[in-house]
Amino acid sequence: MTTAMLIALVVLGGSAGDVFITKGMKQLGEISTLNAGRLLAVFGRAVTNRYFLIGVLFMAVSYFSFLGALRLADLSLVLPATSISFVITTIGARLFLHETISAMRWAGILLVGIGVALISIPAQP
Amino acid sequence: MKTAVVLITAIVAQAFGDVCLTKGMKAITSLETSAGGFSESLSQVSHIAVQTMQSPMVWVGTLLLIVFFVLYSAALSWADLSFVLPATAFGYVLNVAAGHYFLGELVSNRRWAGAVIITLGVLFVSRSGAAHR
Repeated sequence: MTTAMLIALVVLGGSAGDVFITKGMKQLGEISTLNAGRLLAVFGRAVTNRYFLIGVLFMAVSYFSFLGALRLADLSLVLPATSISFVITTIGARLFLHETISAMRWAGILLVGIGVALISIPAQP
Repeated sequence: MKTAVVLITAIVAQAFGDVCLTKGMKAITSLETSAGGFSESLSQVSHIAVQTMQSPMVWVGTLLLIVFFVLYSAALSWADLSFVLPATAFGYVLNVAAGHYFLGELVSNRRWAGAVIITLGVLFVSRSGAAHR
């Protein structure tokens, strides 16, 4: 398994995880209660929701790929590389969750991705 | 309004969770051994694992990150993923600031620039509304 393949797994796993978790949470419907009993019931439905669980599984794949990538490459390469996931997740949200993404939102997402990449590159020694 | 309250609470919980985890993990000491054999590294790992489990800071940090994930998922029950994900990226900015003020970390100009660009991006995203279909 090469570093590039592992980074791809980190990004795709994380994006797929977010998309599935969103699909699961949307199935539960909007949470609009502060009643403890009702919140507990929602929690129970979330952790038994098929999409939500698949999402968590993808998150785990992403996390372990991240650990694997760190074994082969420096954090200074892996962390900035994964900032592309803001763009990939947004494409996933548009394709699979049919979200409308305005030009304003796209611009913001691109800025966030660039900023995260800048932050995660460590200072030169 | 609900989205803002939930996401801001989530982001603050995440930032403080990360600070607690860092403080907890930095306080952990390794065994003083120069031998590099298998049994030495095994005892080293268990030594670190036991200390991690006994650190209140690590427990508080983990709890705060669970709070983050619960609130993040809750927001996804009504708001767009393409809104919630970039909005929570503001946590990176808080992490840089918290690292600077609470952990005494040196923050380079490039990282401050990154923080400013993220803030701009989050402003753009928040102007686009939490959900529209």
